[in-house]
Amino acid sequence: MSDVPVTIAGMGVVSALGTGAERTLAALRGGECGLSGLTLFVAPAGQVLPVGAVRGFDMQDQALPRTHRLARIAAAEALAGSDAAPDAIVLGTTTGGILTTESLLQNHCTDPRAYRHHGLATVAEDLARQWGCTGPVLTVSTACSSGAVALKLALEMLRCGMARRVLAGGVDSLCRLTYFGFKSLQLIDPAGARPLDRERRGMSVAEGAALLLLSADAAADGVCLLGAGLSCDAHHATAPHPEGEGALAAMTAALADAGLTPAQIDYINLHGTGTPDNDLAEGRAVHRLFGRQPPPLSSIKGAMGHPLAAAGAIEAVVAALCIRNGLLPGNVGYGTPDPELGISPVTAPRSAPLKTVMSNSFGFGGNNATVIVGRAAGAAAVAAPSVVTAPLSVQGAACITGAGHGPASLEALLAGKECAGCLDEQTLSEALPPRVIRRFKRLPRMALSLAMNACRDLAPERMPTAVSIGTAWGALSETHAFLQRLAETRGQYPSPTDFVGSVHNAPAGQIAMQLGIKGANVTTSGGDHSFEQALLAADLLTRRSADAVLVAGLDEHHPQLSPLLAPAARPDPPAADGGGALLLRREPGGNAPMLQLLAYRSGDGAGTGADLVGLLGGADVVHNNYGAILVGMPARAYAVAEAQWAAFRQASGFDGPMVDYRRLTGEFGTASAVAAVMGVAMVRAGAVPAALAGGAPCALAGKAVLLLGLGDGVSAVGIRLP
Amino acid sequence: MEHLIEELKVKIVDILNLPDVTPADIQTDAQLVGGELGIDSIDVLEMVIMIEKDYGVAINNKELGAKVFATLGTLAAYIQEHASELPN
Repeated sequence: MSDVPVTIAGMGVVSALGTGAERTLAALRGGECGLSGLTLFVAPAGQVLPVGAVRGFDMQDQALPRTHRLARIAAAEALAGSDAAPDAIVLGTTTGGILTTESLLQNHCTDPRAYRHHGLATVAEDLARQWGCTGPVLTVSTACSSGAVALKLALEMLRCGMARRVLAGGVDSLCRLTYFGFKSLQLIDPAGARPLDRERRGMSVAEGAALLLLSADAAADGVCLLGAGLSCDAHHATAPHPEGEGALAAMTAALADAGLTPAQIDYINLHGTGTPDNDLAEGRAVHRLFGRQPPPLSSIKGAMGHPLAAAGAIEAVVAALCIRNGLLPGNVGYGTPDPELGISPVTAPRSAPLKTVMSNSFGFGGNNATVIVGRAAGAAAVAAPSVVTAPLSVQGAACITGAGHGPASLEALLAGKECAGCLDEQTLSEALPPRVIRRFKRLPRMALSLAMNACRDLAPERMPTAVSIGTAWGALSETHAFLQRLAETRGQYPSPTDFVGSVHNAPAGQIAMQLGIKGANVTTSGGDHSFEQALLAADLLTRRSADAVLVAGLDEHHPQLSPLLAPAARPDPPAADGGGALLLRREPGGNAPMLQLLAYRSGDGAGTGADLVGLLGGADVVHNNYGAILVGMPARAYAVAEAQWAAFRQASGFDGPMVDYRRLTGEFGTASAVAAVMGVAMVRAGAVPAALAGGAPCALAGKAVLLLGLGDGVSAVGIRLP
Repeated sequence: MEHLIEELKVKIVDILNLPDVTPADIQTDAQLVGGELGIDSIDVLEMVIMIEKDYGVAINNKELGAKVFATLGTLAAYIQEHASELPN
């Protein structure tokens, strides 16, 4: 694996330090501070705090949300001089179009079209359209580690040959949610972030974007993404593990991934947000890994603030810039050593030859990521760990629909009954520990219930070590509650509880905490393909592991937000939500049904239905290998999906049983996760039940079930016996 | 003061949604955070907002918070001392 060097063929960056790699380098060389008082939106008197805002940025062009525009700036620079479209895009973001949504909600706008750029996935989809990418377009949202996690996923895509060129990085814009949210957590330093300083009081919320064009082709200057490692604290929703357990695990995993020893790291770009707890925990982890004399290190968040999902990607660009230009960036804002920390950062920028740089990014939910950038020759020639090649197989499953938990839902679905609906809170929360869920609204309850049911009665050694969750819309109840209270109190009294719960990866973090899962913890958000993206992420992250991974897709219905964000083109589908979870594990020689994402491409249009047949290997393969197809035709893109399905059927000649499963599960972004659980049951039973096969059971005769996702983009998941 | 303490008990149970705690369970001089009640750091922040909103008293950093939220008694005393309009 690590014998395929992944080079940085292009990069683009925009932050409070300026626009473009050249400008960023100059700012770092000059030890500049880019923080300034908030002006983007109104804060109550006395609450105008320093932020890392991108300046010189057209404020009038409101057609596209700020996050999308920041991403475009970084992408344009990364792809300048590149004549071919990237094969895939992986983008980390936590804000999506929320800044625009906040204003729309304040103005009581009820036109769903105005909210069309709200979803996290719309940022990467916009880039795909702009630069003609028709391959997989993944969106990850793991709070402040999103950008670094995106780089890890891109790295694995390139290593396994799924793509040759991937555009990857992170983006977030300033918005009320993060500004007031972090303020409610008392994590903002009123004087501006002073990472590692004894007097540090917190971070400065910021914005920015960075995208890297990663390539499997050798590049002249040879600066590579050498490796990356992920971990989860499984400790607390917002606070890091006090001893830096998760940080240590991520750094250790990244070194192993790159085939490097701690002694080979020339510079550490710290997460270093400036919050007392983060810096202390990270410092402890650094001491544990590097001993008393770590390599030169610094945080650049005193200079640019904390651009959240963009941070990991911006810092990867900075790492490459530092290597190319022999620069150690200074720790802006640092003045007084903190004896408890025992770490002395590089105070002023200075020249030094650098070969290998480690960069840390840690986030809410205890989501940690470390990336290592360096010259390929810096990597020790170690044998790559062996790859476990068996596909992921199903060890456990659970689902929720309006008809109830797992067995009740599944039985009804297989009997062809419509299960669309929203479980009441009491039924939804059955068997969940009351104290644990006291602050949970709808989505985390669903998540924990699915996880506990999918992992029920497992021996400790078979418990999952990684989590990959897909959600189209995230925790809508928490997001709405936070924004509503913020508006009602005119910015005075935002709820810390709702802010913590509003991040897309909060449910995955809760699962990790409650089940003690300390490996990679990923949340994807890809519209109606969110579950498929979670499956892909799980597959990419477990290539060298025989441990189990929990993969789930779930979405909640919210009476105010859902009709605005996901309006149905079909009249009045019933309110519905739910999800599905699968416990998966690579088990060579096992006999459980196996699940694999076979094809995924972005873009809409009927033609993509025929393309899908080609991606699956042609009409003969579809005809010979698949005994039934479960088709997802989202109500919000029903006409497109119907045309895609017609094109697929024509191109493949498929004439077996077809189930339009959303008519049974109801309409929600991750309905396909429930359909996957249905598919597994059919494969286990060896037949499509009578009610779904047109009156009489239809034997699969050893053939697989195909799960198709249509609409905005097309995806195909195969479910088969070994 | 007694009235304030009783009022705070009701508010705390209400905003923190503690499933098996009643106002009577909160002892004036017992450890408030990290003890048997199950009140944690996020609850503290939620109480900070409530106290600022309902009593106009700001507790805006962690060190101060640790002292003020030691017990319900210390919390009530702090509010009593700093509120401009005392709620009797």
